[in-house]
Amino acid sequence: MRDNGSSMLGVYISIPFCRAKCSYCNFASGVFGGDRLERYVERLAEEIHSAQAQAADWQTILPKQVDTIYFGGGTPSLLHPEQLRNILCALREKFSVARDAEITLECAPGQLADALLEALPQLGVNRISFGVQSFVDAEAAAVGRLHTGAQTLTDIARLRTAGIENINVDLLAGLPHQTEASWQVSLDQAIASGVPHVSVYMLEVDEDSRLGREMLTGGQRYHASAVPDDAEIADMYLAACEGLNAAGIAQYEISNFARQGWESRHNEKYWLRQPYLGLGMDAHSMLHGKDGHPRRLAATDDLTIFLEQGARHKSTMVDVDASLEEAWFLGLRRNAGLRLAALEVEFGAEVVAACRPALAACVGAGWVEMVDDTARLTAQGRLFSNEVFERFLGLAPCNIHTPVTKDSHSVGDPFFSVL
Amino acid sequence: MDARAETLSARLHRQTCMDRLHIRNFAIIAHIDHGKSTLSDRLLELTGSLTAREMHAQVLDAMDLERERGITIKAHAVRMVYPAKNGEIYQLNLIDTPGHVDFSYEVSRSLASCEGALLVVDASQGVEAQTLANAYLAINNGLDMIPIINKIDLPSADIERTKEMIEQTVGLDTKDAIPVSAKTGQGIPDILEAIVHRLPPPSGEISEPLQALIFDSWFDAYRGVIVLARVINGRMYKGQNIRLMSNNTAFEIESLGVLTPKPVEIAELTAGEVGFFAANIKNVADTKIGDTITDAVLPCAAALPGFEEIKPMVFAGLYTVDAHAHTLLRDALEKLRLNDSSFFFEPESSIALGFGFRCGFLGLLHMEIIQERLEREFNLDLITTAPGVRYRITLTNGSVVEVDNPAHWPTPTEIETIEEPVITATILTNEEYVGGILKLVEDKRGRQKNFEYVSPTRVMLTYELPLNEIVLDFYDRLKSVSRGYASLDYHLSDTWVSPMVKMDILVSGEPVDALSIIVHRDWAYDRGRLLVSKMKELIPRQMFEVAIQAAIGAKVIARETVGAIRKNVIAKCYGGDISRKRKLLDKQKEGKKRMKRIGKVDIPQEAFLAVLRIGED
Repeated sequence: MRDNGSSMLGVYISIPFCRAKCSYCNFASGVFGGDRLERYVERLAEEIHSAQAQAADWQTILPKQVDTIYFGGGTPSLLHPEQLRNILCALREKFSVARDAEITLECAPGQLADALLEALPQLGVNRISFGVQSFVDAEAAAVGRLHTGAQTLTDIARLRTAGIENINVDLLAGLPHQTEASWQVSLDQAIASGVPHVSVYMLEVDEDSRLGREMLTGGQRYHASAVPDDAEIADMYLAACEGLNAAGIAQYEISNFARQGWESRHNEKYWLRQPYLGLGMDAHSMLHGKDGHPRRLAATDDLTIFLEQGARHKSTMVDVDASLEEAWFLGLRRNAGLRLAALEVEFGAEVVAACRPALAACVGAGWVEMVDDTARLTAQGRLFSNEVFERFLGLAPCNIHTPVTKDSHSVGDPFFSVL
Repeated sequence: MDARAETLSARLHRQTCMDRLHIRNFAIIAHIDHGKSTLSDRLLELTGSLTAREMHAQVLDAMDLERERGITIKAHAVRMVYPAKNGEIYQLNLIDTPGHVDFSYEVSRSLASCEGALLVVDASQGVEAQTLANAYLAINNGLDMIPIINKIDLPSADIERTKEMIEQTVGLDTKDAIPVSAKTGQGIPDILEAIVHRLPPPSGEISEPLQALIFDSWFDAYRGVIVLARVINGRMYKGQNIRLMSNNTAFEIESLGVLTPKPVEIAELTAGEVGFFAANIKNVADTKIGDTITDAVLPCAAALPGFEEIKPMVFAGLYTVDAHAHTLLRDALEKLRLNDSSFFFEPESSIALGFGFRCGFLGLLHMEIIQERLEREFNLDLITTAPGVRYRITLTNGSVVEVDNPAHWPTPTEIETIEEPVITATILTNEEYVGGILKLVEDKRGRQKNFEYVSPTRVMLTYELPLNEIVLDFYDRLKSVSRGYASLDYHLSDTWVSPMVKMDILVSGEPVDALSIIVHRDWAYDRGRLLVSKMKELIPRQMFEVAIQAAIGAKVIARETVGAIRKNVIAKCYGGDISRKRKLLDKQKEGKKRMKRIGKVDIPQEAFLAVLRIGED
């Protein structure tokens, strides 16, 4: 299962520009002037050109073969065709981009200009992800979305005319004023639109969004008091899983659903711990180190710094302990689950054996099921996935290959010792 | 030793040969923030005890906690050398006392070591309850007092009004009150002259058998217990065999000296003087505050009056969050007790919390200090159970038991009568807050003894209140209803026979012994309702529904339900989210470690003190 360094590379390109900032948004995106976007694209091209040298500086291996590219936001559909072309040309110049590479562009419904639409197929963009969130116009408007459901359906039709069928629709459960009935409307619309891929998210309440802050401080702005409670959101999520599965759009990850063969190849890389290169402000990379330990790299989340000084990455080594934890908490996100035999190949049988009590506890709680040799989350397990993942933290068996006394396993690790 | 210190030492030696007529022992009485520490520092500076370079703010409050809280916990005694304007040289001993009501016995013993006191009042704030209580203590100890009006440099200072208030409340003539600013130094020389001329020298005879008063002690890792004492009669010297009269233990004085405030060893301390000594004493509990020291060979006829065994007033259980840390807590408590014999502990066990200790404290501040020192100096994560008081219960079979732990409460059918400790509280506040305060004291079962305007806008309330109401959330609520403009002082004064009952808290149907509290029967419903609703806020949602009930015996009087958590998931997890997700999972795991699992329910530390937080929003 572990990538051995021969995988093809995924490239993520961050476009942190928006026309308006939605109240629930906790990303480092913002509303900036067009001149800054132009400068930003130049910076991206420079980053692409220096990527190999950078990777060498980080002591990492940067594969040359690229099979997925993902423009995420912000709102990448704000790019002019020329800007998009410049970025992709730079990538094709420096990397070997596969003919059948999956190239995704995130798009705000109602903001897809004709010029860009026409350019997409010739530039090789073959997948569009729409930030719909809700097909109920009042709900979308309440969080600052600028589109209507009708516009979304029109855009889907326009894409199909242009030859792009691989379309995703994002839906967000937990919007202010949302009800189980209105949620069903959005789900039905998404299914009826015929798109082969749907992502279902749940509102995150944290300090990084205006709505989140308002809810945490008990305020009334941004319709904070109209946000459905946890139980309602959980029910919405379960309804989505059921409805989408029944419509043939099968769940393949906690938040992702697709007709067979239409899964996002780019996103799969994250959960399978395959290498990806993030370009732009606040973009993250994961590359294999020359010493065998992966590195996670995070670019600055300050646009001014990015424009003036470049990405200024922070690098973190992922040691064996952390890799094992990631293997669990990323791998279990996928409906395909985690094959223990593959884990044993990577980490050793003893290490996997040390994880079994935690696994057994999760099976006992009804959160995980074992099918043959594969551990998979149950529907309840997905709703409580953070509880599951927590149990696989700090098992710290990486030293198990070096002789240790029996006691040392449990030192400072109450959970382990309880089991 | 540098040249300056040598000179000082030489001067001090000269002092010891001086007759007692040139000695003045005095204390400073002031409310918190009225400038006691700054004033002390000024006196030290002006008498050359410390150069300006050596000064750092509030020299006397040496413990970190004392500096942070701006309070004095331990007593100190500093000797200063003062050449007065009349050309004579005086030895001034400043005896710094703790100011808080929890330590009123210690204060009374410190005051008993003095002949006079400076009564320091903030010219913009006026007299506060604590000042008043300590001023009465000083008067009762027969001390002469010099009123000092401090902070006259402030624009809001009102010297005349402050004087009136002192006359009205303390009953002290303020004709010769000294206006000063400890901050700017204005008026400080006048204080020194007044100490010399207006306070009496100590009485007592060198030729009499030794009689000395212990007013503080602490443990020093190298020399054992260090005792601060005032020699009343006779003399103390190196090599002398002494006897502590309360417990009849004998020691040999190894060294003695004075604080300048640096410790300086001297040959002897004679009648009227104040200093410290070490005598290879291992246990600070042997050196009881208020005890009398005498010569083992030539003992005095009688002990000094006023000695009392210290009795804890407030009781609580202390437990560690991590059950394995129990022995660490025991070690920490033993170490703390080396330095503070006024709190006591004994092992207890709780079904809910495992092994812990029942601890007795002088008061709530004392409890907070001990708790904070345990957490800070010994790095322990503690759970404290609700503080309570000691009840005297007469059983139907005629026997009498004292109960300070709800777990040991007798079954109601065995109880004949219950007596609870009662305090007399003095509250000083501004007129506009009286309404809120009256409502609070009524709610706390108070009985009014006196209501008096001490100035046109300031009111002094005297109330009798059950101590158990004070130890819960009285301070915090008083502070909130008066927006901080009320001061409180109290002393134990009585007992009442009251129908107290034990209220249990049940979590998921199981009684949690550590959450039980003793309440007045007529207030039980109200308290129960508020308590379970506070607990509902403090206990996080679990995987299942959790019922929180308050019950008296088998009867449930209040109930709240913490709904089950329905999801704990981060839906979105792509490239940039992975590090964030890991941090979140780590935080979640850490958070659980700080909770106590009781049955299947994770209860955070603060829920065990929910009863203290009932008044909060």
